[in-house]
Formats: sequence, C-alpha cells, structure tokens
Amino acid sequence: MKDDLDNATQDERDLLAAEYVLGTLAAGPRAEIEQRLDHDPALQAAVDAWEQRLLPLTELAAPTPPPAGVWPRIVDSVEGLQLVERINWWDRLALWRGLTALAVSACLVLGVLLLRAPPVSAPTYLVVLVAPQSNAPGWVIQAGERQNMQLIPLGVVEVPPDKSLQFWTKGEQWQAPVSLGLVKPGQTLQIPLDTLPPLEPNQLFELTLEGRGGSPTGKPTGPIQFIGRAVKVI
Amino acid sequence: MPVSLPEPPFDYEAQLAACARGERQALRRLYQQEGARLYGVLLRLVREPAVAEDLLHDAFLRIWTGAAGFDAQRGSGRGWMYSVTRHLALNALRQQQREVSDDAALEQPCAEAAECAQHLPSSRLQQCLEKLPAERRACIVHAYVDGFSHAQIARHLDAPLGTVKAWIKRSLAALRECLQ
Repeated sequence: MKDDLDNATQDERDLLAAEYVLGTLAAGPRAEIEQRLDHDPALQAAVDAWEQRLLPLTELAAPTPPPAGVWPRIVDSVEGLQLVERINWWDRLALWRGLTALAVSACLVLGVLLLRAPPVSAPTYLVVLVAPQSNAPGWVIQAGERQNMQLIPLGVVEVPPDKSLQFWTKGEQWQAPVSLGLVKPGQTLQIPLDTLPPLEPNQLFELTLEGRGGSPTGKPTGPIQFIGRAVKVI
Repeated sequence: MPVSLPEPPFDYEAQLAACARGERQALRRLYQQEGARLYGVLLRLVREPAVAEDLLHDAFLRIWTGAAGFDAQRGSGRGWMYSVTRHLALNALRQQQREVSDDAALEQPCAEAAECAQHLPSSRLQQCLEKLPAERRACIVHAYVDGFSHAQIARHLDAPLGTVKAWIKRSLAALRECLQ
C-alpha cells in the first residue's frame, strides 16, 4: 500500500482518495490513507474534494430521531473530557521538566551561597515564645553568633488598634529587661546583634501588650502575651 | 396576519467555533440540527441501532474535540460533521469484516440502489449519477450509503468481483469529470 501510494500517478492517488471517501477500501489501506492525511496536503486536498462531491448522497439515508439516551451520554463524556483537561496539567511533562530545572538551579544557587557564607551559619540559640496561659507557641526566635536575631511569627495575633506589641529581653544577671522594639503581628523582625550584649543560655524573651508606640517608662508595663527562654543549639 | 420571517440559515461554522471555545450549548445546537440525519446515515451504514447509537456518541465527541482543528478553507462545517461520522462507521465496518465472516447475511436495505439516486435532491451529482449505467450507479450508492465492500456489492449485484472493482473506478473517474 505504501508503495502503491508512493508510486501512484496523480490520477491513481485521486481514485484512492475517492475510494477512501466512498468507503470501499479495506481496513489496511484505509488506515494507511488516514495516517498520511496529516502530512500529505495533496492527498488531503483530494480527499476533501471527494467529500464535497459525494456529500449529497447522504440525503438518501432517511433521517431517524436518535434514542433519547444518546444526548445525555454525549454530555457525560464531554464533561468527563473537560474534567480531564482541567487536571491534565498534572501530567504535563514540559511543565514538570521546567519546574524541575528551576528547582535544580535554585539548589545550585543556594549551594554556592552556602559555600560562600560565613562558616557559622546555623542558629546557635533558639527560643520558642509561648502564650503564658495556654503554652501555645506564637513566635520563634533564632540567632547565630554573628548574625541578626530573627523573631519569626508562627501565626497572626490580634492586637487592638490602640495597643502595640513590644519585644523585651533580659539576661539572668541583668537588672532590668531591655526593649528590642515594637513588633507588627505576623511580620518577621530583624534585630542586629551588635546592639546587644552576647546572648546567653536561659536569657528571657517576652512580648508584652503596651500602649500605642510602646511602654512610656522604658520597662514592660502591660500583660505578657508570649514568653520563652533561650536554648543553646548544639 | 403576522409576517413570519424566513429562518436565518444555521451557521455550522460559528457553532463549531463555539465548541472549540468549550461552549457545550453549541454542541447541543449541532446535535439538534443534524442528530437525526447523522443517526439515519449511521443506521443505514451499520444497520444495528445499538452500534449506530455508540457511533453517534463517538461522532459528537470527535466533533467536540476536533472543532478547534476544523478548517473552513477545506470545506463546509456541515460536510465535515458528515465526514467525521461516516469515517467512524466505515472504520468500524471494515475492521469488523476482518473478524466477522464475509458470509454474514446481508439485508437488502436498498434493493433498487440504481433507482435510489432519483430520490436525490436535484444537484450536479444527481445529474452526473443519472448518466452512469444503472449497475454502476448502484455500486456507488451501495458503497457510499450502505457501506458495502467490493465483495458485498459483487454478491449483491451477482457480478464478478473484478468487474465490480473496475466499475467503481470508472464510475468515480466519470463522476470526477462530470462534476468539474
């Protein structure tokens, strides 16, 4: 068949296209023609012309209303197809290849950054600040010896509009707590370590509810919202 | 007395474009417009209602998924729907014939196939078919409308297989020339 089609004269090819449309070709040659149509514009044009020429013959079949169940079946199948299209992005190889490539580059960049970073980069102190009554954790503090201390929220806390959350710390030998500034709910706070004496184990950290703009006295006056003590990480 | 306006012609191409955009109502309109005629074409080709129903379902799914690829430069939207439908049925018939014995009893859906062509609406094709000898006209109708293979036509017309093949080739060539 392949040879037939390749060696066929234009007239023979046109008659093959005609018999394809007419319906008299056997299964093998039919399949051969259908495979070729996509990349053989001349054959496609010949088939299209015959489809148009013979189309009036369809009038010879008496119209018959299809059974009522056919249309609901079509709707079900179309809905199924639309669902598959929606979830198909899961299966899109190109998408995942792209994301994988992105992830690999991100790993490389991070790796290079880590190699260039100061040798001590892991946090050396960790503090979990919990609510005094419920012990529910609300914030985490991490600090390295040479890096900024970070106060990281674990959730969003409600602060009345006329109040502020103030961040305090006190070493065991210190006479009074020192303010580390005001904290916005849900936001990470960065504190430069060089403004503080070196961190020590068991150092106290707390968040108190103060008037707007912070404690007027420079010492905590409002109720403690979260509290915790520094733990040295080995 | 109210004046009834003539109904605007059904715009197949617009409905197919809407299908390509995912509008299911457009597929419904195409089904309402052509469902009965396409089902009639399928019944005539495969003769079994259950098979024809399955093929009608498959054809409309093919129309739905293929609507985006429909090219109005290549032919009418309506013609494309018939091509999609007929080729699904023809593929089913030809594949089935490999397994099922060729001796399967044939009903006589159109005993006077040669006369069938007279029922065609007046068209160039009808005029050209009328010019063919009766038995060759019957070959074309049996093949296109009834889905008969060469062998089935030969048995039906009680003619040698080789003769039927030659008749069909010559008839197609004659139609092509007549329709130019």
